[in-house]
Amino acid sequence: MEPPQSKEKNEFFYFALRNNKLVIGLIVVFFFLVFAIIGPFLTEHDLNERAGPRNQPPSAEYWFGTTTFGQDVFTQFVYGLRAAFIVGLVGGGLATIVGMMVGFFAGYHGGMVDELLNMLTNTVITIPKLAVLLVIAAYLTVRGVIHESIVIGLWSWPWAARAVRSQTFSLKSRNFIDMARMTGMSSMKIIWTEIAPNMMSYLFMTFVLQFGGAVLAAATLDFIGLGPTEGISLGLMMQHSFNWSAIQLGIWWWFVPPGAALALLVGAMYLMNVGLDEVFNPKLRER
Amino acid sequence: MALKTDDLRVYYQTLKGDVKALDGASFTLEDGEIMGLAGESGCGKSTLAKSLILLKPPMKYVEGRVRLDGEELPIWDDEKMNSFRYKNVSIIPQYAMNAMNPTRKIGKMVKELLKSRGISPGEKRDELEHRLDLVDLTRDVLSMYPIELSGGMKQRMVMVISSLLDPSLLMADEITSALDVSTQKAVSEMLVEFRDKDFIKSLIFITHDISILYQIADSITVMYAGKLVERAPTEEITGRPLHPYTKLLISSLPKIGAKYTEEKLEGIPGKPPELLEPPEGCRFKNRCPKKEEECDEEPPFREVSPGHKVACWKVKKDVS
Repeated sequence: MEPPQSKEKNEFFYFALRNNKLVIGLIVVFFFLVFAIIGPFLTEHDLNERAGPRNQPPSAEYWFGTTTFGQDVFTQFVYGLRAAFIVGLVGGGLATIVGMMVGFFAGYHGGMVDELLNMLTNTVITIPKLAVLLVIAAYLTVRGVIHESIVIGLWSWPWAARAVRSQTFSLKSRNFIDMARMTGMSSMKIIWTEIAPNMMSYLFMTFVLQFGGAVLAAATLDFIGLGPTEGISLGLMMQHSFNWSAIQLGIWWWFVPPGAALALLVGAMYLMNVGLDEVFNPKLRER
Repeated sequence: MALKTDDLRVYYQTLKGDVKALDGASFTLEDGEIMGLAGESGCGKSTLAKSLILLKPPMKYVEGRVRLDGEELPIWDDEKMNSFRYKNVSIIPQYAMNAMNPTRKIGKMVKELLKSRGISPGEKRDELEHRLDLVDLTRDVLSMYPIELSGGMKQRMVMVISSLLDPSLLMADEITSALDVSTQKAVSEMLVEFRDKDFIKSLIFITHDISILYQIADSITVMYAGKLVERAPTEEITGRPLHPYTKLLISSLPKIGAKYTEEKLEGIPGKPPELLEPPEGCRFKNRCPKKEEECDEEPPFREVSPGHKVACWKVKKDVS
């Protein structure tokens, strides 16, 4: 009974590979991902060690130059890039998963469950995210990249939850859900096998957006000094360069790489999101 | 007899109170009978069908008993009903267009359904193919997604799925509303064939289109505002309708060959009552041309001639 090859998948790749926005976004993200993975193996310096003379511009020996303290910018950059991906995956992933769970349960069960979960969602939405992140970050004395990601993830899910909830509501009223109920399927199984596959594209896009959002939120926190107390991140690099007047002193190689990487990475994520939307939604496809 | 319901009441819970969508339905359905259930929108036809298989909130079971093949049907208990669904009672839902999950291949869906009923898919393979042939579907449909089928094909596929386990009672809920006239006829005739071939014992065919019932139903039951108003064999009810509502309903159908250029085709003036607080007594009284004082009391649904039941005070006088 198995078909030769799934037509739907072929169609997906057909349109995906012909969508410039998606392809460019993917290339940029992939480029930075490779950089983050292999970068640390290309440097023999440690993160904060004094690797050479101070304030050296980029050269054959120090590819991205050195900081006021003689630290190697390239080393910090590649580790910072790793941190950015960790924040994106953990923070964005957590936000997507929590948002999905809350949305599915509220939408599918309705009634009291929905009432409570909706109240929770609305509460979290109304509390300004940045303010909460500030307070929480200020109270955590030892902060790593993972801590930061979890905090970001736990406060970014409400919009995803809302959208998933309303989609679930509309899918729930379709007849095939009743047909599945009649086979005695449990609610969990109905949610995962009947409802979720119908909004896979949406969930995937949510993750892409949340990834970008988490990276940005982390950079914001880092820049105002509430980032990780140990390790490095792109936002921290920018904060340090700002604190030590890199702009005024013309040490551009200190802040341009992290700033450009953040802008490109997040921009590529948003570009991918638009591209994916066009791929998944036939109405937006270019003819 | 295949099905016997006794004073079945199912309400919808709303913030304003209970909507009495099905308020005391008692009828019996013989083995092999095709019963047409007619009535205008919102009169409780679908509620009756749904309550017999999947009674879920906001629907609320109030009272009444249902027996199928001599066995009590625990319609108020979602869990216990599970073993009856598809095997004893089955339904072809109102919108076949979305009765199948668009992300799953049809064959996979059938397999999962069989597994959930504890039947190995291999066992039913031949039967499934045989029935696909019967409804003029190729076997390839099993490896297709629902979106690859036309509306009529989807409808026929759902018919095959719903009746695959030879349920004793099959309910077809407005299955022809979205189809064009020739497809309507084909689909209805296939259901008759299913009955003739003993795939299903009896069928409740819900529609607001009485002209289809002329062609396929053995008996017709007319509902109005949550109550049964008349039940009789098809020839009897079409030739000699007794309840004023049925009479008006049938007289408002266009006649074959007649041209309605001079005179307008009559409708029934007024609209059905609010079911949140239905009027006392006969629910049709406000639109009824024969209304009298006694109509303020509820008319019993009683047999006036063999097999012909009517709920109207005026009828007995007419007959006797």
